[in-house]
Amino acid sequence: MKKKFYWISVFFCMICLGASLANAGSADAFNDLKGTIKIAGGTAHIPVMKAAAKRIMTVNPDIRISIAGGGSGVGIKQVGEGLVDIGNSGRKPTDEEIGKYGLKLFKWAVDGVGVIVHTENMVKSLTKAQLKDIFSGKIANWKSLGGSDKHISVYTRDEASGTRAVFWKKALDKGDITAKANFVVSNGAMKSAIANDPNGIGYVSVGHMDKTVSPVTLDSISPSLENVKSGKYPVARGLYSNTKGDPRGLVKVFIDYLFSAEGRTIAEEKGFIPSK
Amino acid sequence: MNRQFEKTAEMVLFLPALLSVILTLAIFVFMLVFGLPLMKGGRFFELITGSWSPGHGMYGIQPMIMGTMAIASLSVFFAFPLSMGCASLISVLAPRGFSTFLRHTVRLMTGVPTVIYGFVGIFLLVPIIRELFQNGSGFCILSASLMLALLISPTMILVFMESFDRVPKSYLDAADALGGTPVQKLVYVIIPQARQGIWMGVILSMGRSLGDTLIALMLAGNAIATPGSVLDSVRTLTAHIALVIASDYESLEFKSVFACGLILYGFNALIIVMLRYVESKGTQ
Amino acid sequence: MNRLWETLIKAFSWACGIILLGAISCIIGYLFMKGAGVIRLDLIFGDTPPLDAILLKRQVLDGLFPAMAGTFFLVCFSVFTALPLGLAAGIYMSEYAGGSIRRVFSFSFDILAGIPSIVIGLFGFSIAVFLHRHFSDRIFPCLLISGLSLAFLVLPYIIRTTQLSLETLPARTRLTALALGATRFQNIRYVLVPQSLSGILSGVVLAVGRCAEDTAVIMLTGAVAMAGVPQSLLSSYEALPFYIYYISSQYTNPHELATGYGASIILLGICTFLFLAAFMIQKGLARRALYYP
Repeated sequence: MKKKFYWISVFFCMICLGASLANAGSADAFNDLKGTIKIAGGTAHIPVMKAAAKRIMTVNPDIRISIAGGGSGVGIKQVGEGLVDIGNSGRKPTDEEIGKYGLKLFKWAVDGVGVIVHTENMVKSLTKAQLKDIFSGKIANWKSLGGSDKHISVYTRDEASGTRAVFWKKALDKGDITAKANFVVSNGAMKSAIANDPNGIGYVSVGHMDKTVSPVTLDSISPSLENVKSGKYPVARGLYSNTKGDPRGLVKVFIDYLFSAEGRTIAEEKGFIPSK
Repeated sequence: MNRQFEKTAEMVLFLPALLSVILTLAIFVFMLVFGLPLMKGGRFFELITGSWSPGHGMYGIQPMIMGTMAIASLSVFFAFPLSMGCASLISVLAPRGFSTFLRHTVRLMTGVPTVIYGFVGIFLLVPIIRELFQNGSGFCILSASLMLALLISPTMILVFMESFDRVPKSYLDAADALGGTPVQKLVYVIIPQARQGIWMGVILSMGRSLGDTLIALMLAGNAIATPGSVLDSVRTLTAHIALVIASDYESLEFKSVFACGLILYGFNALIIVMLRYVESKGTQ
Repeated sequence: MNRLWETLIKAFSWACGIILLGAISCIIGYLFMKGAGVIRLDLIFGDTPPLDAILLKRQVLDGLFPAMAGTFFLVCFSVFTALPLGLAAGIYMSEYAGGSIRRVFSFSFDILAGIPSIVIGLFGFSIAVFLHRHFSDRIFPCLLISGLSLAFLVLPYIIRTTQLSLETLPARTRLTALALGATRFQNIRYVLVPQSLSGILSGVVLAVGRCAEDTAVIMLTGAVAMAGVPQSLLSSYEALPFYIYYISSQYTNPHELATGYGASIILLGICTFLFLAAFMIQKGLARRALYYP
């Protein structure tokens, strides 16, 4: 059994190598391949992962790609435990995590974390101090910020979230988040929650922002792709896909695909800045 | 067929039954073993009275226990009068045709998937609550318990109805003979006679609402603060399990989930014991 | 009791009836208002030809087909696991168990029936992690684990309906064969079980419905956002109720949200159908038993 598996993997590697040399950078690299890739973790990654998976599976129906969320913490833990092949994270895994599990990091895009409010909300800019007060619960009404006389509903993410970790560190300077905050489970859920709540405020991956929500400028710098790219907007982070040890076989082809021209286009379409 | 065969047959039937009992125990033991590190050295008390803040090394689940209690009791509070009214209507007050219709609708309602109540709740009920009270996000105890009330009512109504129907006909005939109106019959004969069934209906639905996950997870907001009003966002024990399950398998956070499981198991056992008690009182 | 009270009580009851009917019609009406427009074949199959999808020739990437297939496999696996166990245990409880064994067993089945489904899911999840660590690294939360957990969930239902429908058989039926010299097991095999089949069967159908609608168990034990039609018991899978839960918070555009409504209508349809089926089985067989005694 072991031996057979070994030969199959060697076979895969050779095909992958050959294929990636032949036509690097398109879903064709998956031709003649077979198997499953399990992906879990960071929720900011999901739109890109889904789009990539759809293209790959359209070209090659013999490949199965399963995608689950959970948050960056989950991605790192699950790939470390060997429960999935690729664990995504919206923050850089800590040195301890890398060392403990022997992770290999692939940072395929740059992203930011921005504050969003409902489109009807008149408050479109906040200072860092105001933001901290809102999230710690000191400011509880939109009125004092120039908005209407409504209670502020704060939305946050759970501890496993990389988006939360980055936002907490770089935007709140590790300040408290009120215990009264509502919890949502992903970037997508954050966006739809704020889109539906006229009094809500939350933070979401810049790539996920769209017309349904209003971004809020932080110290008068708007959380746009350009500002993240130029480094003007401080709450930036990389999007990582992590594997346990060096990726092999199908997983390697998938990771390579993310860095290929087509993969980079997908990342760009979904609102991220593909890294070189 | 010989005696040997009979023995084997009994054994073959006995083993699955035993297996099911072992399963019941195994679930308890699993929760206990996995959750033990958090409870060692008298820290169980700390666990159930403390607050949740993994960043500060606090894994208390007191806010979730309060949240569970609040949502479950409020939903029973809403569902009880509703169910009493409906059961009275079906058993006594409504004309035959409407009664049959309502009875079938209630039966059918027990089959509606929980996730659908949650789904519609998010898009229909939450905005209404938000607009109505102009305070908070609409994801709160009230929204969750209203939806939950709708979820548990059919069960409650069915149990009430059965106990109303079990009242001996001779009692009703006696009331009729004395010239009692339907309402008098209901208030003075049927409800006092069906007391046991009413208790059982309430306890049973309490159990269901304590154990429900989806509605609380989708509609209650999942905040980790101890609730102060019905418009506060809370997290139930069940939703806490669903939210934290994803953590590191060795972290204390993850272990706390098993403490939640253990407490829910305990609640459930308590409910069953209460049901048994009420049942035995009735048969004496 | 004066007239005013009487009128009030009547009015209150009617109000309750109307509130209940109103609430449930609101929910279902709202669902259909929002979702009826998307109930088309491409909701299920996307742009894949339906026949190719059903024959698993091509993957459906934009439709509900993988989720429906996942739910179907899940239900089949868990009911077929729970059925033999539940039947046997139910028969044992009704026909053999006595004294303290009976008391202890039935108490433990009551407990099992009341355990919140999320706790069963947690149990399934920890078993998966346990097995992964100590036995085989190919085991992780998957269709197999979910199916087993769901089987645990419906096991007490099947035990109870079996036990109940056997116990409610009239003494006449119960004793005739025995009086004619049949053994205990022959009596069960040829008389009691066939006679109570309708009760048992409708219990099974309800168990199927319970498996199809449960979300809490599967969200902990292997249901994921995207997986395609499951290829083995050890793979992750999609399921209808989980899909609805997922879409409710994570839809990215109005089209996806509409799919969520569509999925809700389909799930509601499946559950209602199963429920009516259970009802018919019980009623139909009861009537037949009445006409041909």
